[in-house]
Amino acid sequence: MDWLEQELRSALARKEPPPGFADEVAGELAGGARTVVAWPSRVTGRWLAAAAAIILIIGGGVGYRRHRGIEAKRQVMQAFAIAGGKLNHLQEHLKEVSQ
Amino acid sequence: MKVVRILTLAGGFGALLFGQQFKFDFDRLAAKASDTVDVSLSGSLLQLGARFLDGSDPDEAKVKKMIAGIEGIYVRHFEFKQDGVWTQPDLESVRSQLKAPDWMRLVGWKSVEDGESAEVFLRLENAKMTGVAILATEPREFTVVNIVGPIDLDALAQLGGHFGVPKLKPDKGGKKK
Repeated sequence: MDWLEQELRSALARKEPPPGFADEVAGELAGGARTVVAWPSRVTGRWLAAAAAIILIIGGGVGYRRHRGIEAKRQVMQAFAIAGGKLNHLQEHLKEVSQ
Repeated sequence: MKVVRILTLAGGFGALLFGQQFKFDFDRLAAKASDTVDVSLSGSLLQLGARFLDGSDPDEAKVKKMIAGIEGIYVRHFEFKQDGVWTQPDLESVRSQLKAPDWMRLVGWKSVEDGESAEVFLRLENAKMTGVAILATEPREFTVVNIVGPIDLDALAQLGGHFGVPKLKPDKGGKKK
């Protein structure tokens, strides 16, 4: 696992809410409290969009690299299986002949 | 046997031509084969694959250790549904490149009875092993392997009994060439 993957895992890891969070939310709902959500400004929105795009690109890159690595590993194992099998076959025949 | 077809995307055509220590072009055989294994892994891709090998798995740990000094591995393996598809000129096209002073034929074996043969060549530079070539044929199989870099041949042969490739007990029909 490289640093990028570790960073992403850490950033996207599940985090438990603080104690009493559920009660607080339930209390506010029961009391009919209204929360005013402020829309981000145009500048903030651009930064958020850029950050989201960067995360997507990095995530995609990590995923593609992982896919390539797993495929390469499969090919390595197959190549060694064939090379080792042929060599083993030859070695067994030579042992037989030398006996 | 389960059909296996691996097409290598990474490495590129350039790597196919320049990564190998000798040329092998078997388009004709590939077109007629029932099963084909085509592996071309150059240095960076090989090392990337090595990073995904599980060190706690005994077989993968062995492969990981062997890969450490290797720069590339190239395999062409064809299986056919009938005899006589591959010909001696196909074999000779590879064998003719494996000549001294670069290459040394380590060992060869041929069974007249079974129509099987196998040869191992070493590439030497300043008395150091820098590559291995394995040519193996059966009436319905044709295999060429080029490992670029030093490798422990005994350790590689020991892997032969793993990965679903059974260790073979030969018949009496074989003879050393």
